[in-house]
Amino acid sequence: MRAVPGMSQKMSETVKSLSQLDSSSFANSKYYKGGFEPKMTRREASLILGISPTASKTKVKEAHKRIMALNHPDRGGSPLLAAKINEAKDLLESGKS
Amino acid sequence: MAKYIAQILVLGTQVIGRAFARALRQEFAASQEAARRGGGGEKGASRAAANARTGITVEEAQQILNIDKLDQEQVNKNFEYLFNANDKSKGGSFYLQSKVVRAKERLDQELQSRKQETDP
Repeated sequence: MRAVPGMSQKMSETVKSLSQLDSSSFANSKYYKGGFEPKMTRREASLILGISPTASKTKVKEAHKRIMALNHPDRGGSPLLAAKINEAKDLLESGKS
Repeated sequence: MAKYIAQILVLGTQVIGRAFARALRQEFAASQEAARRGGGGEKGASRAAANARTGITVEEAQQILNIDKLDQEQVNKNFEYLFNANDKSKGGSFYLQSKVVRAKERLDQELQSRKQETDP
């Protein structure tokens, strides 16, 4: 009981140190967490292309072209990201027909 | 009447118990696997823990940022490029930008822990 006032201060200090421990300003922010899913889902595919999971085929194609242009490996993009973008497009296109 | 209820309860508990035991065994095996992948020893364990905590491995982070040799300068350079390339204002995917951010975070962590080893 007597330890309570000391404890509340300790708690606030720990919380503060925790948020600092997360090093860069990115950790507690709005960015999606973690790496890619082990097996790509429709949800992830739609997020990768930045479109709705129910988008039309033309929208999928257009989004793929746009995102691929930004991440093209020949222009300094990462091969893994390019592969994921292609995988996303294939998944969404196959799921439609 | 009560006998049947009792039987159902017992059976139900058995099913749940068995499923729980199986889940525990799988979880144990998975963590053993992760620890083995981490490369054994104390450092491997801390790496596996960091992988579990951040949800991304060093290998995946390297692939995302297209890095073959872990060098802070290269990490920062590739990060800058990929982060800006996938900016939402340019019509980029926020999800991809997030992955780039998380990859850099993970590599920063790894570089930091490696630095701590060599000069404590």
